[in-house]
Amino acid sequence: MSTRPDNTHKFVRTHPSWSVWLRRPPVVALSFALLASYAVFLLPSAETESSLLFYLNINLFILYVLFCTGNVLADGKKPESLKMLVALALIAIMCWLFYRYSGAEWHRLREFFFNWEKLQGKWWILWQGLEVTLLLAFISGIGSVLIGLLVAILHTLHSPTLNFFLRVYIDVFRSIPMIVIMVFIFFALPFMGISLGSIVTTVLALSLGYGAYATECFRAGIESVHTGQLEAARSLGLSRWKTISKIILPQAFPVVIPPLTGILVAMLKDTAVASIVAAPELLKRARELYTSETNPTPLVAAALIYLMVLIPLVRVVNVLENKLGKKRSR
Amino acid sequence: MNDAETMIEVVDLHKHFKDLHVLRGISTTVKQSEVVAVMGPSGSGKSTFLRCLNRLEEPSSGHIYIEGVDILAPYIDINRVRTEIGMVFQSFNLFPHLTAIENIKLAPMSVRKLSDKEAVDRGMALLEKVDLAEKADTYPEQLSGGQQQRVAIARALAMQPQIMFFDEPTSALDPEMIGEVLDVMRNMAKEGMTMMVVSHEMGFIKEAADRILFLVDGEVVEDGTPDHIFNRTTHERTLEFLSKII
Repeated sequence: MSTRPDNTHKFVRTHPSWSVWLRRPPVVALSFALLASYAVFLLPSAETESSLLFYLNINLFILYVLFCTGNVLADGKKPESLKMLVALALIAIMCWLFYRYSGAEWHRLREFFFNWEKLQGKWWILWQGLEVTLLLAFISGIGSVLIGLLVAILHTLHSPTLNFFLRVYIDVFRSIPMIVIMVFIFFALPFMGISLGSIVTTVLALSLGYGAYATECFRAGIESVHTGQLEAARSLGLSRWKTISKIILPQAFPVVIPPLTGILVAMLKDTAVASIVAAPELLKRARELYTSETNPTPLVAAALIYLMVLIPLVRVVNVLENKLGKKRSR
Repeated sequence: MNDAETMIEVVDLHKHFKDLHVLRGISTTVKQSEVVAVMGPSGSGKSTFLRCLNRLEEPSSGHIYIEGVDILAPYIDINRVRTEIGMVFQSFNLFPHLTAIENIKLAPMSVRKLSDKEAVDRGMALLEKVDLAEKADTYPEQLSGGQQQRVAIARALAMQPQIMFFDEPTSALDPEMIGEVLDVMRNMAKEGMTMMVVSHEMGFIKEAADRILFLVDGEVVEDGTPDHIFNRTTHERTLEFLSKII
């Protein structure tokens, strides 16, 4: 039996590690105690006249808060429940600082933002707006998917001339902001004698704009199908169209659906831009109420309605993407 | 070309990929029921040659006659030509979204316009033949490589082609699965199918092939019986290649 030489010196720490020391529970507890005393004794009161020292003091406090919480959150050995608690505390402290030092008229918060009495008997206006929003999104969604599918299939013909023009379409409509497309169609085209209503303008702009995104999405899906599939289909004598419809698209769709859903959700959000061309959708109706009631509560209500509709959809996109990820990694 | 027995006639076939001259004037004929093995070192153009013959690759120049018809002529519908030529690929290329039987019946139904029942009957008979009848409703990803390749052969046969091309059909298989695929091919050869096989399976070629085309750098350097190529050749490149693969 041979004796192994002592190799400890090869791996031993050569410089001191502050982080290890800082993350010991007593040190963490002490730093939080210091944080609390800082808040109680050293923070200025809200009424203090603003000065450089005033802002410096608050900024130092914020830095210290971030240091203390970061020290806990970055420690892999601490339990997740403790980290969650510390994270919530961080958010609470930040909110409290904002509440105390922003100078906003907090006592009027309810009167301005949550004045539901102002909306009494007028909710139907918002619901009507939501209906228009959903209708716009539905029609434009169909439009953009059809455009995307068509352009992506044309792309598989690999004709350089055709591809050049498809590329121009995709790049142009992905580069122009949606609001510019809408404003151009609605306010500029009438000079040429082309007057489109606000609904038609919105559907056209959303379909063309998001059609360009959908195209990229379908193209990626089609390209994800192995060329061997195409060769196998062609060698069996399947025509180009049969190959696309029976072999390529069925395999591309599962790949396309998650990102395409994401694009459609983004389009649903962008229907709000249509309020600029006076399409009577949700945001437009909320702004009308905001003007007539001279109160921002309708805007808050609109935001909440958008949330209610979109949060579930965003979750759906997430689930779809995770499913695809699992399928791919299999 | 007037010989009724000639299935494939290739005259001075050239293929360029941009600057690369892959096929440099290949001429050969394949008779009915003949089994021709195509061998050669990697990069010699074996696969490209085979893929040119059903125009998966477009030949740059030359003539290809299938059953006496010039398939490079402008009035030819290549899809109809391809229904006469079954092709089996190195990587199987089964359609992953379809079951084995759906893979097989797809082309007969959408190209030959068979009814579902006829196509399924034909497909089941072929699965029986490749010994996979019990796997009819299985998706490709649940089949082993050897099973997938046998389904791929059945899929090609379902179009009732006159000619079968095999492009390295056993190269992607684990060693213990090669035998089952070669058995199927052997049976096809016995039944009189005209076959062109890119392969280096010496045992199979010795036993089943009538002729070997030996390709180097896009040219046919030797064309002879397996016995001649394996035992009596004096060609330098052939000997060098054979010494490497045995």
